[in-house]
Amino acid sequence: MKYILMMNTMKASQQGQGIMGWSKHDLEAHIAYMMKLNQDLTNSRELVSAEGLSFPDQAKRVRAANDGTPITDGVFPESKEFLAGYWIVDVPTPERAYAIAARASAAPGRGGTPLNMWIEVRPIMSQPPK
Amino acid sequence: MKYILLMSGTKAGVGGYQAWSQKERDAHMAILRKINQQLTDSGEFVATQGLMPPSDAKVVRGEKNGLPITDGVFPEAKEFLLGYWIVDVASAERAYAIAGRISAAPGPGGVPTNMPIEVRQFASYPSK
Repeated sequence: MKYILMMNTMKASQQGQGIMGWSKHDLEAHIAYMMKLNQDLTNSRELVSAEGLSFPDQAKRVRAANDGTPITDGVFPESKEFLAGYWIVDVPTPERAYAIAARASAAPGRGGTPLNMWIEVRPIMSQPPK
Repeated sequence: MKYILLMSGTKAGVGGYQAWSQKERDAHMAILRKINQQLTDSGEFVATQGLMPPSDAKVVRGEKNGLPITDGVFPEAKEFLLGYWIVDVASAERAYAIAGRISAAPGPGGVPTNMPIEVRQFASYPSK
């Protein structure tokens, strides 16, 4: 079963208070932890893909005008949570997906303290909805 | 440059979609499949996935001992990811144009949904 593990960052209103303010040492420890996690998931053949996204200030939302041309907007509601990155894993049970999410959640933050951030876990659809 | 095109909606919005007729859903999915095929033909397609509805979502965080704590309760206002496309394109404008096409996929009565699609570039890893 495929699951997506989504790591959301702070809301738009809190932008700049996050990872950009960390020391280089803390940042490197965090990234090393995540790379180790990805390597372990690769070794166990559970990793399908993992990506980090650029910061919210580069996000745009787009919708089609009546003639089909794109209208872009970079303004988001203050309460919006932004996706920071995700993992797609292929695992036998939801419990295994939750265990992996907990590992990602425990990644070190400032001073090496685990972030214990919430990770959203969702099954991926195998086919278009009926 | 790789971009992810995120389609999101609230629980209420997903409930609305579940009320569409089969014909309306088929028409919607036919357009999305056509877009996927054209992106494949142009060499811009990387991946696409739809997610199961918000009722199947959990949030998880690590307990102090590393064990997972799960919770399935979300604020009503939360936007859930419904699905995404990853494309590899020459410019941001091209990513916006593809998002515009997805946004124009037909909804009830064949009227374009015009739903907003969030467009984000992948970070080059590791971030500095």
